[in-house]
Amino acid sequence: MKRWWLGALMMGSVAWAQLEEVQAGFIYVGPVGDFGWTYSHDRGRRAVDERFDWLTTTFVESVPEGDAETFIDQLVRGGANVIFTTSFGYGEATLAAAQRYPEVLFGHATGFQTAPNVMVYIAEFYQVYYLNGLMAGALTETNKIGYVAAFPIPEVKRHINAFTLGVREVNPEAEVEVRWLYNWFDPAGAAEATQALIAEGADVFAFSEDTPTVIQTAAERGFPSFSHYSAMYDFAPEHVVSGQIANWEVIYADFLEKVHTGEYTAQNLEDVNYWWLLDDGAVIMGADEETPINPVFEERLRAVTVRDPELGEVSVYDLVMARHDAMREGGPEAFDPFTGPVRDRRGNVVIEEGVTPDQETLETLEWAVEGVSASSPWDNEP
Amino acid sequence: MELESWLISATARSLAFATPLLLAALGEIVAERAGVVNLGVEGMMVLGALTGFVAAQLGGDPTLGVLAAGLTGGLAALVHAFLAITLRANQYVSGLALTIFGLGLSGVVGRAWQGQPLRNPFRALDVPPLAELPVLGPALFQGQHLMTYAAILAALLLWVLLFKTRLGLSVRSVGESPAAADALGVGVYGLRYGCVVFGGVMAGVAGSYLSLAYRPSWSEGMSAGMGWIALAIAIFAAWNPLKALWGAFLFGACFHLAFRLQGVLPAEFLRLLPYVATIVALTLASLGRSRARRGAPAALGTPYTRGER
Amino acid sequence: MKRYRLEPRPAPPPGLVLAVSCGAVVAALVVTGFIFLGFGHNPITAYAQLFAATLGDLRGVSEVLRKTVPLLLCGVGLVLAFRLQFWNIGAEGQILAGAAGAAGVALFVPGLGPATLPAMFAAGFVAGAAWGFLPAILKARLGVSEIITTLMMNYIAFYLVQYLILGPWRGQEARGFAYTDRFPPEAALPLLPGTRLPWPTLVVAVALVLFVAFLLSRTRLGFEVRVIGQSAHAARYAGMGFTRVTLLVMGLSAGAAGLAGVGEVAGVHLRLLDPAQISLGYGYTAIIVALLARGHPLATLLTATFLGLVFAMGDTMRVVLGLPFQMTGVISGLVLFFIIAAEPVLRYRLRRAPAAPLQAPEAATPEPAKEVARGARELAD
Repeated sequence: MKRWWLGALMMGSVAWAQLEEVQAGFIYVGPVGDFGWTYSHDRGRRAVDERFDWLTTTFVESVPEGDAETFIDQLVRGGANVIFTTSFGYGEATLAAAQRYPEVLFGHATGFQTAPNVMVYIAEFYQVYYLNGLMAGALTETNKIGYVAAFPIPEVKRHINAFTLGVREVNPEAEVEVRWLYNWFDPAGAAEATQALIAEGADVFAFSEDTPTVIQTAAERGFPSFSHYSAMYDFAPEHVVSGQIANWEVIYADFLEKVHTGEYTAQNLEDVNYWWLLDDGAVIMGADEETPINPVFEERLRAVTVRDPELGEVSVYDLVMARHDAMREGGPEAFDPFTGPVRDRRGNVVIEEGVTPDQETLETLEWAVEGVSASSPWDNEP
Repeated sequence: MELESWLISATARSLAFATPLLLAALGEIVAERAGVVNLGVEGMMVLGALTGFVAAQLGGDPTLGVLAAGLTGGLAALVHAFLAITLRANQYVSGLALTIFGLGLSGVVGRAWQGQPLRNPFRALDVPPLAELPVLGPALFQGQHLMTYAAILAALLLWVLLFKTRLGLSVRSVGESPAAADALGVGVYGLRYGCVVFGGVMAGVAGSYLSLAYRPSWSEGMSAGMGWIALAIAIFAAWNPLKALWGAFLFGACFHLAFRLQGVLPAEFLRLLPYVATIVALTLASLGRSRARRGAPAALGTPYTRGER
Repeated sequence: MKRYRLEPRPAPPPGLVLAVSCGAVVAALVVTGFIFLGFGHNPITAYAQLFAATLGDLRGVSEVLRKTVPLLLCGVGLVLAFRLQFWNIGAEGQILAGAAGAAGVALFVPGLGPATLPAMFAAGFVAGAAWGFLPAILKARLGVSEIITTLMMNYIAFYLVQYLILGPWRGQEARGFAYTDRFPPEAALPLLPGTRLPWPTLVVAVALVLFVAFLLSRTRLGFEVRVIGQSAHAARYAGMGFTRVTLLVMGLSAGAAGLAGVGEVAGVHLRLLDPAQISLGYGYTAIIVALLARGHPLATLLTATFLGLVFAMGDTMRVVLGLPFQMTGVISGLVLFFIIAAEPVLRYRLRRAPAAPLQAPEAATPEPAKEVARGARELAD
């Protein structure tokens, strides 16, 4: 995989329709060792690289937004005919490069603007956050759940909301206390934010920072937590309850295979939008891939029961499994945590009874549901 | 939450976060007392965090990690000492180079160790009889790491060493007036080398607190600017180890409160707290002293050449 | 018995300075070559590839220049501040302040038409200068260490920009992400055709270098800077306004960094965005630019281009050689180490001495100190 660069210089341009040889270049926003976002994209890249013998891949890590076009140029000059840009901030650079290289196929992760040769894709977690919330609601004894959050942007707000909906379903008394880091990567901050939440009485933890710090800090004081983005079970086998794991491989494999067979070309990506969830296998619930719920917590989760309109009196463990199976097999049609009525924390109905919000609503939401306790900018909710 | 328990937990957390700041600041105080500024604290800390983690992971014992971190910090400081003392290079530049280099090198070398949990970290502990005390017990003697107490002890010892012993007098005289000290037979170069290397050892150990105790794993850039805060503490403390104790505690409190007060005050302004506090503290510190001296060692930052003035 | 001893050299000839600097850079590149070897690359072919990709065509060269512009703007400002012995390491924050100032004009002052860009440059300069004001006044009046205060101002600027883009300035089209809206077209700098290089900033930067060179060598302020930089004590004795000169110099130095911030948002990003993305550490790297230039404004033309090349080569290195991005820091650190390690060659020379002197001779009065003496005399007249 390493040396395709030199050979590629001689290969020249690429045929239109079916691509015999696919060369995929990945533009990453962080370092591949961050153990979060970029790490999991790179896991996906390595997996498809190994799986398809017609595929070669290369990547550039820690690419600043202002330099994305420069690196796309370099990858294309190196012979790449498919480029994945893995950050929202690469949007304009991707669209501009797509115009300049009409024969190259582009994929823009978390983006929303497509073009004949630009598709968008995301492996989305909100269902898994909801499931984790159900468990967190059952495990808290202080009715205070700590959430260490990266940036106040819709993606993170969506996840906090989904998590809180789960918590409240099981435990209407519980509050989700949010602490902002203003950083995707900030181990020292995450540790101190966790400690601050512990001091405030929180006893279960979830987070959206790119290191396992929250898990380690909570575990040292004996508190359970939920792993984020990659499998963090090993960091505290006694304390990681479950978590969300991104599996970008399925999206990359699906797209690249269709490029290889000629189903996707540089002319027909206008409507390609991967919003892939549990039922697509793009996200997985678990402390690691093999452990949906850590057996250490099974007994405690079975001991708490709730009344569900459909399932009747049911333990939280069974409830999680039932919802998990429903969403994994039936998708959002079978069950969706955001199906109304959903109220924001000022009591306004933000999603009407029976309505399941579409992708764009979820991608742009700013409000906080009942049960979320956080300082500004959540006071700006509508 | 009632005020008393709020204060207790805030005190305990401030102490925990103050530990690396204190360790690094103490080392810098000693180096600067001997007349050598080292702006490489951040670089030495991050190198110490990495080697500390690697040694502890391979050797299976966190104590090994502390030793390795101290050794690394000392070696890095030796480079600075050679440039600043023997070659009489600009100390600011040399220290900056050390920080840039240390952050880069630890990033390159540390890639293989990223994202591993440390198998045998330092555990937080309670100090047996003292932990039972009413307010003071939970505030100071529960759930801290041994290194926290070691740092406080080091502050006391260094104060005695600097101000109550002959060696301390020599160190201070080397920083105040190297020519006079030289004339009295004090080995200026040797002492300066010793103090700078000691500063590096302390910075390395401070880094290892992060990767072995505070958050037992390694990630690139995990010193997160603490080295610079340590430099500020050295000035704020007027190069006095005992005052550094309070300085470090104050800055530890700022970092903790930035997250603690988020329920009350806007988060985006709280993030500024430690940095604004640094400027305010330095300003107050210099307002409170005579304009002429401000407590800085007189020969701070100037290389010494025998025979030159 | 014959012995050798070191003797201070009064003023090293420019040729020697250049030769020693180049030697130090080459030495650093040799050590880096060994690192390449460690990663399994032949250093010679590796360097050949890197140079071909960065200097081989217009696009490559324009990328080098794109990185050079902010380094030049910040670097020449730092040269000025360093001449005053004012250790401004706050250029990074001053860049951010300048960027925010320019963005404020671009987004919220409509109807300026063709005056938009000049207004942005003016706002960026003022914002940058304002960011340098507090450390300057604290240093001049209270002697507060500018190293720490300028650095802390960097963090403060960082979080304030973050606050702006997440709070009051967050754009309608950003879908809730932390960006302002895109600047209107009249707020975008024109690019050199076929490249991504906003050429007006390059012109501004070179003009500023010439201006600072003139200021330093031909004006009274420049003279005061040189004198105070040599000895603040002597300058006070001569009745020079330490506070006034410090404020003026820091205003210019920080304002220049502010201009670099304008160049980044108006030439590259066209919006205000995450502070870590606005400047790629140009403010810190500019310290190396200034130090390599050894106090000579004109030399920054050379040193900024060199570090621009290091940046661009670092980018290529990641793609072509697959090396981690932190290598740029390793190389920058090595260059700095070698540069200052070579310093004694310039300041001292080896002389054969018949015997050890009983008493070491007085150090030869260095050139600038003479200047102080002369200046004090002139003022006394």
